[in-house]
This record gives sequence, C-alpha cells and structure tokens, in this order.
Amino acid sequence: MMTRLAAWWRERVPVSGVQLRELTNEPVPNHLKKWWFALGGTPAYLFVVQIVTGILLAFYYQPAPSTAYESIRFITQDVAYGWYFRSLHKWGATFMIAAVILHQMRVYFTCAYRRPRELNWVIGMCLLMTTLLTGFTGYSLVYEQLSYWGAQVAANISNAVPVVGGVAKHMLLGGEVYNERTLPRLYILHAAVLPTTIVLLVIVHVAFIRVHGVTELRFPDEDVAKPSHYDFFPDHLYTELSIGLVLMILLSAVSTIFPAMIGPKADPLTTPEVIKPEWFFYVSFRWLKLFSLTFAVLSTGFIVLAMFAWPWIDSALRRLTGSDDASVYIGIVATFLLVGLTVWEAVVEH
Amino acid sequence: MTLRMKQALIAALGLLFMVSLIFVQWMEVARRREEAGVSVKRVHAPASSAACVECHAKVSTGIIDHWKGSTHAEKGVGCVECHQAGDADVDAFQHYGATIATIVTPKDCSRCHRTEADEFMASHHAKAGNILASLDNFLAETVEGAREPFSPHSPTLGRNITMVNGMASAESGCKQCHGAKIALESTDGALITVDDLKPNEDGIPTARDVAARVKRNEEGRPMLHSSSWPNTGIGRLNLDGSRGSCSACHSRHDFSPRRARQPENCGKCHLGPDHPQKEVYEESKHGVAYRDLFQQMNLDAKDWVLGVDYSQAPTCATCHMSGHSRNGGKITHDPGRRISWTNRPPVSLVMDTDARGAVVKTADPEKRREEVKSTWQEKRDQMTQVCTHCHAQNYVTAFYRQYDDFVLNYNEKFAKPGQQLMAALRQAKLITDKEFDEEIEWTWFYLWHHEGRRARHGASMMAPDYAHWHGMYEVAERFYVEMIPQARELARHAESEGKTEEAKTVLTVIDAILARPEHAWFESQKAEKAATP
Amino acid sequence: MAEHGEARGRVSDGGEPDGGEPNGRRLFLRAAMGGGLAAGYGTFAMMAGKFLYSGGGSAVGWQFVATVDSVGIGESIAYAAPNGAKLVVTRQSEGETADCFTALSSVCPHLGCQVHWEPQNERFFCPCHNGAFDREGNPTEGPPLAARQILTRFPLKVENGLLYVETPLTTLADAGDAEVRGAAPGGPIG
Repeated sequence: MMTRLAAWWRERVPVSGVQLRELTNEPVPNHLKKWWFALGGTPAYLFVVQIVTGILLAFYYQPAPSTAYESIRFITQDVAYGWYFRSLHKWGATFMIAAVILHQMRVYFTCAYRRPRELNWVIGMCLLMTTLLTGFTGYSLVYEQLSYWGAQVAANISNAVPVVGGVAKHMLLGGEVYNERTLPRLYILHAAVLPTTIVLLVIVHVAFIRVHGVTELRFPDEDVAKPSHYDFFPDHLYTELSIGLVLMILLSAVSTIFPAMIGPKADPLTTPEVIKPEWFFYVSFRWLKLFSLTFAVLSTGFIVLAMFAWPWIDSALRRLTGSDDASVYIGIVATFLLVGLTVWEAVVEH
Repeated sequence: MTLRMKQALIAALGLLFMVSLIFVQWMEVARRREEAGVSVKRVHAPASSAACVECHAKVSTGIIDHWKGSTHAEKGVGCVECHQAGDADVDAFQHYGATIATIVTPKDCSRCHRTEADEFMASHHAKAGNILASLDNFLAETVEGAREPFSPHSPTLGRNITMVNGMASAESGCKQCHGAKIALESTDGALITVDDLKPNEDGIPTARDVAARVKRNEEGRPMLHSSSWPNTGIGRLNLDGSRGSCSACHSRHDFSPRRARQPENCGKCHLGPDHPQKEVYEESKHGVAYRDLFQQMNLDAKDWVLGVDYSQAPTCATCHMSGHSRNGGKITHDPGRRISWTNRPPVSLVMDTDARGAVVKTADPEKRREEVKSTWQEKRDQMTQVCTHCHAQNYVTAFYRQYDDFVLNYNEKFAKPGQQLMAALRQAKLITDKEFDEEIEWTWFYLWHHEGRRARHGASMMAPDYAHWHGMYEVAERFYVEMIPQARELARHAESEGKTEEAKTVLTVIDAILARPEHAWFESQKAEKAATP
Repeated sequence: MAEHGEARGRVSDGGEPDGGEPNGRRLFLRAAMGGGLAAGYGTFAMMAGKFLYSGGGSAVGWQFVATVDSVGIGESIAYAAPNGAKLVVTRQSEGETADCFTALSSVCPHLGCQVHWEPQNERFFCPCHNGAFDREGNPTEGPPLAARQILTRFPLKVENGLLYVETPLTTLADAGDAEVRGAAPGGPIG
C-alpha cells in the first residue's frame, strides 16, 4: 500500500530527494559558522514571522478611519492571544529592520559588495528601502495619533522632493490630503505590494548569491588543513533553525514584557505635543530638524543615491587614494553619525 | 559544532520556545481574569429601549452618556424598565408607543431593589418630607415668603410681573432637600397631590374622580406643577404614595454607587449654618485622610466593604450606611441605624426607636420598654463595629464618653434651661404663640438650631473648631448676652405695663437658672458689686 | 523533515565524524530535534488557531429580563435581545431559581417564522406550516416534529430575585459603534 502510494506520488512529482538536495546544497564557507556572517538569514526568517503574524492580524484588521482603531483595540484586548500576535508583529518588524541594517553593515565592512557582486548590493539596497517603507506603512495602519501624524508628516516630506514629490504624495495619500481612502492605500501597500516586492527581491538576491557563491573569507587563525566549506544541508540549515528558535524566544519574551500598546485614537485636528516616528526613522527625523526641509530632503536623497552607487564609488575611491580601506573609514564615520543622530533624537523630546 | 550537538540544541531551543509560549498563555489568562473584573465593558441598549436610546442620544446626549456608564446599561436595564407605568397610574402617558411616567419613585425602584427600598422607607431620610408643615417650613413659607401669592411691590423692567409666588423660598430651598409633595395640575385649576389621589398599596389612585381631572398637555402628558417638580428631595411625597427619591443620592442616570459613597454627595444638603456635617467631616482627621487617599479607596468596587475593599479613610457612607468586614458586608439604606444620639431637636435625645423607626419620647418606663424596638446602645454597638476597624475598643469607648459628656453639657446647661425659659415666657403670655415674631424667638432658634447643632455635630464627628468656636462659644454668647437680657427686658416691659405677676414668674425662672452652680459665675461678682454702695 | 534527512543521511553526514554513532542514538537525537521543533512551532500554531477561532470578546452578555416574582406559573413574557432576537421567557414551575424558567427563541427552526404561545393548547404554534412545540420547546407537530427540530434555548440565571438571560448583544448593523467604557486609567492594554 505504502509503496503504491509512493510510486503514485513519484510519478506525479518526478523530483527525487537527491535532486532536491543537490539543488539546494550550496557549499557554505566556514566563516558562516560565525553568527554575524549569517545575518542575511535572520531578516529572511523574521520576514516569514512577519508574514505569518501579518496574515493572522489581517483576519481582524479593518482598514478604514472609522474602524481601524477599533479593530486594533479589538485585536489587542478582545481576541485570544491578539496582544501577543500584534506584539510579535511589532517587535518582528523592529528586529527585522535591525537585522537588515546589521547585515548590510557586515557586507559593507567586509567589502563583500565589490566586483562582481555590485548588482546584488543594489538589490540589497532595494530590500532595505522596501523594508523601511513596509515598516512605515505598517505603523500608519494603527491609526493612533502618532501613526496618523507620522503619515501626514511623511507625505508632506515627500511633497518637498522636486518634480516627483507632489505626485508621490498624491499617490501615497490617494488625494491631496489624508482622507478616508488613505488607510486602504497604506494597507494594500503594507500587506500586498511591498511584501510581494520583498519576496521577488529576495529571490533575485539569493539567486545572485547562488550564482556568485558566498564571498570567501579566511581568517588568519584558521586551520588551513580543515575543509573550507561545509554543507548547506543539513548543517547550515540546523544553524538557521537554531537562530530561528532563538529569535522566536527573544520575540516572545519582549512581546510579553513590552507588549504593543495603543495610544490615543487619531485626531486630525490636534497634533500631539511630542511626535516621533518609529526608531528607524529617527535619523532622518533629526536630519529634518537640523536643516531646511528642501536641503534635508535633497541631501537625504543624495545620500541614499550614493549608498546605491557605493560599489562604483568605492572602486573610484580605491583608484583615487590607492588604499583599499577608504570605504571602511567612511563607513566608520557614517556609522557614528547614524548612531549619534538616532540617540540624539531618542533622548530629546523635540 | 557537530551536527549531533546542533540537533540537541534545536531540540532544547524548541522546548524553550514552547516554555516561552506557555508563559505567553499564562499572561493571557491573567489578563482575561483582570479584565473580567474591571476594565472594558461593552454596553448595548436592550431592544426594549433601543429606540429611546437612539433618539435621546441626539436630543439629550447627557442622560444617555450617563446611562451608558451605569451598571444598569451593562446588565441590560434600559429606559422603560424604570420609566414604565401602568395605564392606571395617574402620571402615565404614551410616549412613542410606550406607557411611561416622568418621575421614577422608590416604588418603581423597589421592583428590583426591594430590600434597599424597604430600608430606605424605614429611615429618617424618607420622613424628611414631614418638614412641610413644621416650624422650619413656617420660616420659608411665611417669614421668608408668603403662603398666598402677593402683588408686586413695584414693576419689574422688561417683565410683566403681576403676581409673586411667595412659596419660592420653600420650593428652591427646603423642598430641594426635604422633598416636595409632587403635584399635578388639575383641569379645575387646583393641584392634585397624593393626598387627593389616595393611592392603594400598588400606587393606583383610589380617588378615580380626582385622577380623571388631571390636566394634560397637547401630547397627552400629565402636567407636573413647577411648585413640586423638578425635585429629587430625599423625602419627596410621590403620587403613588411612596416617599422619597432614590436619585437624591444615586444621581440619575448613571445611578452611581461610586458617587453615593463620596461625602460630596451628602454635601448637597448636609452643610451650612444649621447642620454643617460636610464641613465638620472635612475638618476632621477622617475627612483629611479621605481627601488625601480617596484615589486608593477602591470607590468603584462592587460591594465596597470596609476592611475588605478599603480602609484608608471613612466617608459619610462608610460609618452610617456601608457594609464592613464585621457585619458580613451588609449595607443599610437607613442611615439612622448606627446613630445613638439625635442632635436634631433643641435637646438631644437618645435614639431609642419604635417599630417605625421614630424616637420614643414617652417618659413612662413601662411604655418605653413596650415601645422601644431598637435601643440607642444597640445602635452605638453597630457604629463601634465600624470604628474598631481602625481604632481600639477602649479608644472608641473613651471617645463616646467625651461625646456623651459634650452632649449632656449642652443639654443640661443651655438647651433645657433655654427651653424652660421659652416655655415660661409663652405661658406668661409675655410672647405670642406665633413663632419668629419676637426677637427672643430668633435668639433661641439660633441657639439650638444653628449653634447648638453645630457644636454637637462638631463633637460627634471630631471637628474641634465646630465643637468649640462655631459651637459652644456661640451657644454661650447667645445664652448669656442675648437670651437672658432679652428675657429680662420682656419681663421689665411687662412690669411697666402692670403685668407684675407674669413678670415675676419669668424673673424667678431666670434667677433660678442663673443661681445654679454651672451658671453662678455669671452674676456673682456683679451681685457683689451691686451690694457694695 | 527528520525523515527526509534520514533517507539522505549517509551522504550529508559524510563529512561529520558521527558515522560510527550507534543508530539508536542518532535516531533519538533526530526525533528529539523533530519533537522540539514540533513542540515549539506546534504550540505557536495552536495559539494562532485559537486567535483565528475566538473572534475575541464574547458577543453575548447577561441581560436583565424581569423580576422573578413578576412572572406567574405558565406565564410567558416576550423579551427582545439587544440584537433584536425575540425570546419567549416562560415560568415552568414554582420557585426562585433559573431552573424554573425557560428562555426559548421564538424563531421556528423550520423556516424562521415567529412562533407564539397558545395558552389554551399549551403549545408554541408556528402559523406558517402548523408546526408546534411544547412548553419546553420540543416539537410536537408539523415539520419540526418530522425533522426533530427544537426551539433554541438561551441560558438563564437568577441574582437577587432578578432574572437574567444570556443573549447575543450585537448585530452586523451596529458593528463599529459598540460603546466602550471604563477602561481602567493607565491600565495595560496588551
């Protein structure tokens, strides 16, 4: 009976285990046994967590100004484990963005973006942007005071972008001002458009890794006699599974200790005294307060553009300076700047 | 790390993940339990009142908002449950398909709250309407106003005033606390009250002919006369024969037990120069502690039992009404059950009460034994049970000794002599039988009704300034500096008119009072001075 | 997953020094790993299921119907639930407890017509297809008897002499404007 069933299956799905293994079995360089080199898998895992919890929340969320806040309240207070899944989603987002940034920093400081992997860096940058946008749209869905005013401010910032800004704002809000059709827009961006984009980008991202192979690194203290690679399956998979479980435990812990709250409901007539975006926008928020709107927007755009083009800027710098490490020094300065501005925004009220 | 170790690690982490989820579950259960107690409750208008709520939410938002916050709303008690009336009720009318009445009486409330209504009916509170024919009322109705409407002294610019309602002071003053006698307008221009309707036990008027004369407006609604409504006085005399108004304390339309537990609630009436209980309380350590700690006092608790739900400070309700841990949390709606002296009359009486809750006034010991159903000592024991939640028994006993001494000192030194003096003056016809038409009557009234009560209330609730400066000091001044000289003046005046005998009787009474050892200090030196040439 | 791994174990574990491991021990570790994963993610999945199933706070609540002593034996009162559902509350026997009463839906289980109590026949009667039910709501005649359909019963309770029924509170019509009150000041929401 079992053999007949197996035969039936094999005939319809003519893929054997061995084939599947060979397909997935990329040899993994040894340095990936160190966790900070495996940070690319972490956002991917968290992304899955976000999809699962996001789908769960979508069963109850109602994206309209009259219902959004109440449905969030309902999820948080009335549905069984609603507070937990909402907190998981919130903390998952925080962790995911943090992991993406750490992953990017690791890639940057090990100069893993250099020839021939420039395009994958660009894909990665696209992933960073999409992730940040997903975070932003998600935060706006809660429809509490800060969500509402965050979206309002962001829309007007994009308005300051020359030429395309007005169109971007109109597209984001579905009109010239925040209106009753804005929330559905933000929702469909958050729950369909952006996640799909992320999935497609990740596929390309991973495909590039498979095509190029993981950047090889050798540490001076390593034993040369030992094999320099190990199997993805099952060895690296086990590592990723462990990381996944650790992440779940961490997420559950912070979700229980610092559950997601609901602030006061959005009031389009009263801007709260203290208004802050989510932490990952602290940098740009502080930047905005330091300079005029146009300069801040333009300079931010310039910086983002430079980040996209860094593999080529880096090679130009290397040619210019003759040193291999110019990017690393710039990176250190940039990191201090990022951390500094974030902390500054975090500690002050205005 | 070997694969084996990784497998073991994954197994361990998987289990740890499960443990963290179990913790999540524990949090969920804890949260649900907490929620079941206090926080978010949803309110849905019962179908019977859905239409009322929908319309009144627009036309009178406040009452609907209040109702939504009430326990009634939570439990599905809507508008008609309380306002519904029978066709035979004299004040019933049709209102969008429902037969309702405007005034909800204790009889209506007793449909569900039987015990509370019964206790209330037996209380002194329910009898507050008796004032409507008493001395105090003579003040408002005659002295301050006029029983009959009178014509204006001169025109009022911008208004066409033809008559003045002399009962205005009684209506806005006395009756708002004591309760009005609810009156309907009659087609013959008279007023219809409970006295005319003679309702039976179910509140249905037996005088059908009177009920038939009730005047109705164009919507068919019986017209309540403004002399009696709006009114939530605690002794209101309702058309169905019931007395009182539950909303006097449990304000409509949220009927908040929380509010009834707070002293401010009692302060609508129990304040002012003649019975400043609220101010007395605020001066006392009890009131000071309450003001400081009320936020911790669990005022929203379901039963609010002293010693269980709170013990930070007592409010009026705590001592006089609320349940406590020593009586099984049993609340009473008769605030007289724990009071051992009544300080309301000129001379304080002990609270030996009869079956109807009235103070037994007979001196005959045999009759007393027969009539007294509840002694003052029983009442004091009940109060002591409350006190001992915070104070030791000997502390309470000693306090009561101080309090008894204070009341007796007032009674024996000023109240009884004052009463005797007034009786002597009246008997000798040096003053008329009419109250307040002679200065000395005002003097005596101030002495016992204002200052004497202030003093006694101050002592009863631990407010030293009221006991002394606002109290006994003024009692003494009133007695020595006004009452005695005024009485002597009356006697001298009578003498000059030739009523020697009458004057002599009164002067003898005065001299006898002042010759008593407790009054001897007052004239002993003056007498010596007069004796020496 | 563990099973697949086993089929291919020889090849994948080739580089690892556990070739000489006793088979039972390897199987145990694999099972343990599978068990650990199943325990963690399984619990998670169960919670997700509960999340989806629960729909949150109860949409039913205890509502006041009448005072116990206002309903005589055999007497019925019509009660309309907040969501508009019509109930027939009947006193079945003498006494002060909820067992002395029944609260039956007045919607005929056959095709949804309104039944009414006929005191002379001691039955609930549905005029649409002559269905009938006894005072407990059991079918006695007509289509409901043929299909063994009973009238829906609602739970009852008595507190301080007051009769309460547990009924649905909301309808689709008033979704979204449910009133919320009395959230404890500063209380945690999550």
